[in-house]
Amino acid sequence: MDPTLEKQIATASRSVEEARRLAYHDPSRIGALVEQISVLADLRQKEGDFRKAESLYREALFRVLDLRKSDPELLSGIYSLLAYLYDRWGKMDEAAKFYEKALELSERNGLAETDKVATIKNNLAMIFKSLRNHEKAEQYYHEALECFLRVDGENSPRVASVYNNLGVLYYSHMEVERAQEMHERALGIRQHLNQDDMDPADLSQTFINLGAVYKASGDFRKAEECVERAKKIRAGMNGFRPKPRRAAALLVDANG
Amino acid sequence: MREILSIHVGQCGNQIADRYWRLVLREHGLTEAGVPKDPAATANNANMEVFFTRVRDGKYTPRAVLVDLEPGVIARIEGGDMSQLFDESSIVRKIPGAANNWARGYNVEGERVIDQIMNVIDAAVEKTKSLQGFLITHSIGGGSGSGLGSLILEKLRAAYPKKKIFTFSVAPSPVISDSAVEPYNAILTLQRIRDNADAAVILDNEALFRIAKSRLHRSPNYMDLNHIIALIMSSVTASLRFPGKLNTDLGEFVTNLVPFPGNHFLTASFAPMRSGGQEGQVRINFPDLARETFDQNNFTAAIDWNNGVYLSACALFRGDVRAKEVEENMASIRKSLNFASYVPTGIKIGCAETAPDGFSSSGLALVNHTGIAAVFERLVSQFDIMFDNHAYTHWYEAAGVSRDMMATARNTVAELAQSYRDAS
Repeated sequence: MDPTLEKQIATASRSVEEARRLAYHDPSRIGALVEQISVLADLRQKEGDFRKAESLYREALFRVLDLRKSDPELLSGIYSLLAYLYDRWGKMDEAAKFYEKALELSERNGLAETDKVATIKNNLAMIFKSLRNHEKAEQYYHEALECFLRVDGENSPRVASVYNNLGVLYYSHMEVERAQEMHERALGIRQHLNQDDMDPADLSQTFINLGAVYKASGDFRKAEECVERAKKIRAGMNGFRPKPRRAAALLVDANG
Repeated sequence: MREILSIHVGQCGNQIADRYWRLVLREHGLTEAGVPKDPAATANNANMEVFFTRVRDGKYTPRAVLVDLEPGVIARIEGGDMSQLFDESSIVRKIPGAANNWARGYNVEGERVIDQIMNVIDAAVEKTKSLQGFLITHSIGGGSGSGLGSLILEKLRAAYPKKKIFTFSVAPSPVISDSAVEPYNAILTLQRIRDNADAAVILDNEALFRIAKSRLHRSPNYMDLNHIIALIMSSVTASLRFPGKLNTDLGEFVTNLVPFPGNHFLTASFAPMRSGGQEGQVRINFPDLARETFDQNNFTAAIDWNNGVYLSACALFRGDVRAKEVEENMASIRKSLNFASYVPTGIKIGCAETAPDGFSSSGLALVNHTGIAAVFERLVSQFDIMFDNHAYTHWYEAAGVSRDMMATARNTVAELAQSYRDAS
């Protein structure tokens, strides 16, 4: 195992123990405990020990449920962390279940118009896509899109990500024209982002996706052009590897 | 280092913990706060790490996890003279009790605490270098120890498939009963012990009561009973913690004591049995000690000695005993025991140099005897009477345990009893 990670885990583990000791006598410290637990659980996921991560998040969950004064925002945060864990673990049904719990809770408590909810909807759509439930996936992507549009405005990288996701969904269902429209919108945003938000990996991915769409619709010249541009961007990235999962980046953004 | 993690579940499990850790502290020369009485002596004792974690200021903390669904017993431990001993981060208590209902301990309340318990256990395991296994103390008749204990057993087996799990399970006694639903709880728990533990030492309060009464010559209390259990538990692990000529670890016990998978239900005997006040004067010659160790009246469960055979036996002598004496006396004891025809009449023997506090020497026997079927048969018949009349089963169904699940558990235990009878 990575020695840095090992050290981080040992430290986080000690912090959790200390927080447990404090919470043992003083229930008002449970919030701090839950925070420490999620740090450790996140490290456990990196280590690949999903069982321990699950058990940590579930401890946090029941600790929060036991609080006298309920905290819907914290609770829905834990639900989505658990859901994200199950997603990575490959337990898609569980993931969908917990995302839906998080969603329901947020909406019940007037948190519907936040980027957190939009992120959950986006992730939920991804899960339904992998469960081959096309209708639900499409519905959740559109809801996420509307929400991000309201929160971030039209030209945000997150809006572009959802357009991209929708494009991929349509393409996988052979709805080429709609896929093309989505990827073109994503491209429109991604090309004109300022330097800080610009992610060359995303941009090249959009070109590749567009290329695939053009090829499917028979426009080989445009397809080749797109692939060339993607290649050029990749070549300029100097071995930089994109983050393995966009959903992860989205979720971390939203919870950070 | 081959560490052992103790897990104490429920009221009974924690009462045992109280007596047990007192005894272990004395054996290791520690005060009730976990501080060495004589730092020079403990510095040389590396085996301390089996049961204790060294924390700051040379203090030692037990490798123990205390779990209860009612605050009472743990609060008493914390309020008593051992208040500084246990690590508060490894104590798990939740206020709503299991109400004597296995299903509540297993499903309803259990679900809410099991993850915290597993996290505490995981953290404790990570502090070890080479864990050899777990000791679990609980009762199988109550709600927390039986239901939550079963859940812990299942999770523990799934998380640590290769570690040895030893349970010390207090069974409802044939005559005295604390609650009407004990047979249900016991049957449901025995099924989990059969499926998930490596060995279970069955203790029943009536047998303990009988031993305590005949040896102490006065009416015993729960403290006396738990002290007997504590002496047995401490002796099982003695040869790991103290130097000796014949070492036995949990794995060796299991290999020697379990001839067939699933038939890992043991009964134990400790000798010489004396009350707390009499300790210090105990000096017993070895032939008497060996005889008392294997005296049928000295065993902790209501075994049907007349209709059954020994499948296996282990003996562990501690303190001032000589190897030659052990050999000579054990040879004659071996002959007197009625072993099954197909197992070699061997008794696995271990020795440790340090006797329990207050004894110059002591003996422990762990045996696997087919007469233990009587314990299971009695529970099954008590179960059947209630179950066939649908008595009390609604409490279990309300907490997510169907009559089918109960019937399955009942059949598992009935088969277990039959497999012991068949092995005779």
